[in-house]
Amino acid sequence: MQKDLEAKFLSDFEKNQNIAHKICRIYTTNQDAHNDLFQEITIQVWKNYSKFRGDSKFSTWMYRVALNTAISLYRKSTRTIKTQDINDVVYKIKSTDYDDTEERQLAALYKAIHKLNDIDKALILLYLENKPYKEISETLGISRVNARVKMNRAKEKLKKFLIP
Amino acid sequence: MDLLDKYKKAWENQPEEANKLSAVEIYKIAQSKSSSIVKWIFIIGLLEFVVLNALYFLIDMDQAYAEYEKMGLENFIFYSQIIAYIILFYFLWMFYMNYKRISAVDSTKKLMTKIIKTRKTVRNYVLFNLGYMVLIMFTVTIASINLKFDALNTKKILLIIVLTIIVTALILGLLWLFYQLLYGILLKKLNRNYKELAKLDAIN
Repeated sequence: MQKDLEAKFLSDFEKNQNIAHKICRIYTTNQDAHNDLFQEITIQVWKNYSKFRGDSKFSTWMYRVALNTAISLYRKSTRTIKTQDINDVVYKIKSTDYDDTEERQLAALYKAIHKLNDIDKALILLYLENKPYKEISETLGISRVNARVKMNRAKEKLKKFLIP
Repeated sequence: MDLLDKYKKAWENQPEEANKLSAVEIYKIAQSKSSSIVKWIFIIGLLEFVVLNALYFLIDMDQAYAEYEKMGLENFIFYSQIIAYIILFYFLWMFYMNYKRISAVDSTKKLMTKIIKTRKTVRNYVLFNLGYMVLIMFTVTIASINLKFDALNTKKILLIIVLTIIVTALILGLLWLFYQLLYGILLKKLNRNYKELAKLDAIN
């Protein structure tokens, strides 16, 4: 029973690990912190995996657990080294077949997202990942109206950071 | 939204993480120990219960009881301690239940509310304990003044009262500072994020 659950978790998590990596990339600015947060997300997803009922997609459920970990459970690593900031944010993304302009846009986007507060980061991530408002409001625990209001403000802030 | 649309396209086309982990690596990580904020709140909370109660063991209780008896306070101390222990167990139970209810599966806001509630249980216990200590301190002061009433003049009585108030205020102030520091550091991020979400409900 436990073995089955473990195998299912590993397969689900392996397929969806990119969600965790994206969240680590927007909530941390260096590799050490990225690894720390990734570890905590993995632990939390596994710890709560038995509660996953399958009435929603695993990815939807994982966004929630991973964002909760980043926003509320994870304590910022004290080892964070400021000097190697933003530059290695888009660290280790495979750049084959990747348009140079888009690469620069992506770097600028990450840089702008880093300036947002934790809640706005979550909103922007869910927007970029094309999540419907129903899911956004359920994930954050706010009403759909509030999610819209908050989202518009977060987008405005992001735009300001994108064109300084 | 055209500006963001452009960036959104770049986001959607972003290549996958280069350092993808294998199932074996994920397994190893999942088995490692969590160092989440909730775990820290639980450990610190338990320590607070233990430390506060250990204080009583540091005091020579036989000697203290002999003093209380002299002042005619033995009944007051006995019953108030029974009540204090009942209240201690109530708080411990609440603390454990709140902790158990915390789940990363909840919505962000609900999760934060539960974490804050768990911490508040301990804070309330500490407040209760401080209140209890203050009550004992003043009762003992009044009883000892009463005992030596004939030997004391008004000036001395006033001095004792003022000193008791100053000492109490100092202890309370120090403890408050310690608390602000301890939980301030631990929950700074969480409190900020909670306010950010709660602010919205106040507006709409």
